[in-house]
Amino acid sequence: MSARRVAVTGVGMVSPLGATAQASFEALLAGRSGVRLHAPADAPKPLALPAGICADFDPAAAFGRAKAGTLDRYSQLGIAAGLEAWRDAGLAPAADEDREAWGIAWGTGVGGALVFERGYRDLFISGRERLPPLTVVQAMNNACASHLAIQLGLGGSCATYSVACASSAMAIGEAFRRVRSGAAPVMLAGGSEAPLAYGVIRAWLALQVLAPGDAESAPRASKPFQRARAGLVLAEGGAALVLEDWARAEQRGARIYAELAGYGESCDHGNLVRPSSDGQARALRAALADAAMTPQEVDYVNAHATGTREGDSIEVAALAAALGARAAEVAVSATKASHGHTLGGAGALAAAFTVLGLHQGAVPATLGADADLDPECAGVAHVTGAARRGVRLRAALTNAFAFGGSNAVLAFRARGAD
Amino acid sequence: MADPAPAYRYIQERLGVDVKAADAATELAGLGVDSLSLLEMVFEMEEQFGVKVDEDTPPPRSCGELVALIERLAAAKP
Repeated sequence: MSARRVAVTGVGMVSPLGATAQASFEALLAGRSGVRLHAPADAPKPLALPAGICADFDPAAAFGRAKAGTLDRYSQLGIAAGLEAWRDAGLAPAADEDREAWGIAWGTGVGGALVFERGYRDLFISGRERLPPLTVVQAMNNACASHLAIQLGLGGSCATYSVACASSAMAIGEAFRRVRSGAAPVMLAGGSEAPLAYGVIRAWLALQVLAPGDAESAPRASKPFQRARAGLVLAEGGAALVLEDWARAEQRGARIYAELAGYGESCDHGNLVRPSSDGQARALRAALADAAMTPQEVDYVNAHATGTREGDSIEVAALAAALGARAAEVAVSATKASHGHTLGGAGALAAAFTVLGLHQGAVPATLGADADLDPECAGVAHVTGAARRGVRLRAALTNAFAFGGSNAVLAFRARGAD
Repeated sequence: MADPAPAYRYIQERLGVDVKAADAATELAGLGVDSLSLLEMVFEMEEQFGVKVDEDTPPPRSCGELVALIERLAAAKP
């Protein structure tokens, strides 16, 4: 095991629950839902579905109108989250120090889908011949990462991982490896998604995995681990962590939220959409081994659980397989019940919530699971009802399992847990 | 004389600033306009007025220069 440790020194988030990490976490713990009925006014055919929208986020206020107009929404959400994490870590925005080895690892699944869609609309519907000149650089999947690298003067690795719903978890994992190996003293890591383009929504509807709902039921349409679960809820959002060499963080007196202690990944290599508990368990075991962590240390798991019929129970089986007898005692919750599924951003949201939870001794509950927990999802200590506060957490895992079979697990330790 | 209203309206909508109140010398950079957003804005103006900005046209640097450019395009509107 490497002697070098990795500290989480900054957290940022824009989510359907709030425009900052702390606002989002407070809303999560308070049991609020960020999911609403979404009925896009410009849809060519009527469309209404539950969705998580970052209603509190104002891009013009965040960037100024001129700058905001040059960014796809996935970049707007991601840059806002990244800059918040940076400020939160107490790092200066401009490079007044050598940052040639510092880097960024970002995750997004669909990238600049809204810009692509605007372009297709101009070409096919409006009959235009020309597209706006920034279409390419707005829509590309690494736009968000590059904007952050430019703004923060990060001269090392700047890479974007596109691994469907595991994108940002893998980005954080890869950034973790770079810090632990000594390749980078500081990495900004996270991900963002803005998937509510008409065509993207229609594509997800065609896959028949979206939860139905009307204006009244939408806030509770995302039902992970519940008997009445009927699919996932698409959501937009972004989150970021600042990962830093532990000794460096201590030396500069940075607030250390938690330690990122391990990262495990695997591929189901079986089916594009049906997850495998075996593949997931291998990622869980790999993360524990990487962190030199025993199942006994794990007090909380932020589950991937998206609210699909098959996926949630398979994840519980994976936890049981990987954690053994400890699984039944481990607090598990699915925060997607409160904010929906941010796809490529999901792993970063889960990581940010978990880091804040470890730091504050708080465990969010799975919204709605108190009344309707599915016996098929039994086997772990589901957190239902009110969130728990004032608890001592030693270590926590976050799961991100993607279509395509890619699995990513991050293992965090509370500061001073060892 | 060209009608200045479209230029002011466009800048008001696009940048959220009332240029009538601003000095014509106000730097666009100070309003958050960089080379990329200027590219996008020039394209939008071309689309709006159906006129192509000559490639040799120097990019406007101040509010006054931007207003002048928009007025010129509006006047040239076919």
